[in-house]
Amino acid sequence: MARKSDEILMFSTAQRFVHWLHTAAFAVLMVTGVALYAPWFGNSVATGAGGHVVRLIHRFGAIAFMLVPICYLLFDPQGLFAAMKRIFTWGPDDLGWLRAAPAYYFLGDEEAMPPQDKYNTGQKLFYLVVVFCMVGFIVTGLIMWFAKGAVAPWVFQWSVFIHDLCTIAYAAFFLVHFMLSVMHPLMKGALNGMLFGWMPREYVKHHHAKYYEKLESES
Amino acid sequence: MTKAMLIDVSKCMACRACQVACKAWNDLPAEITVCAGCYDNPTDLSPDTWNRIAFWEVERDGGRVDWVFRPVRCMHCSDAPCVRVCPTGALFKDPMGFTAYDESKCNGCGYCVQFCPFDVPRLKEADLWGKGKTTKCTFCQDRVHEGLTPACAKACPTGAIKFGNRAELMAEGRARVEKLKGNGFTDANLYGANLLGGLGMTYVLTDKPEVFELPRNPTGGLAEAWQPWIQTLGGVAVGATALGLVITWLVARQNIKVEEAEGG
Repeated sequence: MARKSDEILMFSTAQRFVHWLHTAAFAVLMVTGVALYAPWFGNSVATGAGGHVVRLIHRFGAIAFMLVPICYLLFDPQGLFAAMKRIFTWGPDDLGWLRAAPAYYFLGDEEAMPPQDKYNTGQKLFYLVVVFCMVGFIVTGLIMWFAKGAVAPWVFQWSVFIHDLCTIAYAAFFLVHFMLSVMHPLMKGALNGMLFGWMPREYVKHHHAKYYEKLESES
Repeated sequence: MTKAMLIDVSKCMACRACQVACKAWNDLPAEITVCAGCYDNPTDLSPDTWNRIAFWEVERDGGRVDWVFRPVRCMHCSDAPCVRVCPTGALFKDPMGFTAYDESKCNGCGYCVQFCPFDVPRLKEADLWGKGKTTKCTFCQDRVHEGLTPACAKACPTGAIKFGNRAELMAEGRARVEKLKGNGFTDANLYGANLLGGLGMTYVLTDKPEVFELPRNPTGGLAEAWQPWIQTLGGVAVGATALGLVITWLVARQNIKVEEAEGG
């Protein structure tokens, strides 16, 4: 399964494509969305005809965003179902991870970190936020786009409200995700997995010990 | 000085002079309407109709029917939900107290339409790709700033629509309500003196607000929650996360240095 003996294939081409489609859509939606969300930003860029363009781009971003789950389902259904199964499976090691994580991330104490599967507890948490917020974004977004005026005002108002809450959760978790995958000095290797599909064997062994054990026992 | 209008429905005879004057001053075209089986014409506000007379037939005990009417337009709330949710500043509070509008800033999002407790703003040229401009009564902001009376108040032949200093108009309204009560209108009331921070469009009503389809306790709904709470929450949540990440990064870098030192 390994391209080189010192690397392990973690993500299929379809999974990587879906990930970066998601990233691109998120970037477009976040920038244009914040313009509508925060007056200190919107007052300068989202007014008048320019504001209409911002909202138009947000709609194109939304189409790309809605294609993310569709593409995943079409191109790699097995990968999607496996990922869903992983993020909804929680055990004692997850509680252990949550207890040990603050000491690890803020004090650098790695002792108590329990071994992790393909996704560690934090990654599962992020994935769950993404899944639930994606449903929230798409349902409330479609209401605001196509049902404005057709639904009662309180439905629209709650849609905006939920859309905002999803944005806050998404933005906060995105920062964590970006930091840990791209900038964190101890996590070099994770980015490689999403760019090319392969991660260093040593990295997987260290950060995803349970998954590594499974792969070893299978081969 | 805070300005306001006081509409005394006991003096209104539904002549629609205000409706016509509004169209004339704001350069709004007439609409082709159909008879809806009542006197309402048109039957709703629209991008071309910012002010209209609404009619109601109220059946009393003993089979008597009262015919009541009032002009329907923007209520110019002091604490206006539309201003709270407007992301561009196109809707804003004028120092004179009314809810002003700068159409060039509007990006057509339509939040004001959905958050208005009185169902007043209407989008024009709206399409599914987000185009549009909101429309509503502007309190004749272009006249008022020049020291003129709003067109509707200027045109009203019976003096039912009055424009002036808010405090004086409220005193006048309260006196008028007492007089109406003495004349047998036991449910007469002054509507809007304190609602939503005090409305800029207030009414002397001859009957309960429900009769005139006016909400007893209008609120901004979720607009109250939205700003500033949600925006503050967003800033705090994202800011705290960023701060935590900086600490994490520094800790990790420090650890690498320590390990390198130990290893070396």
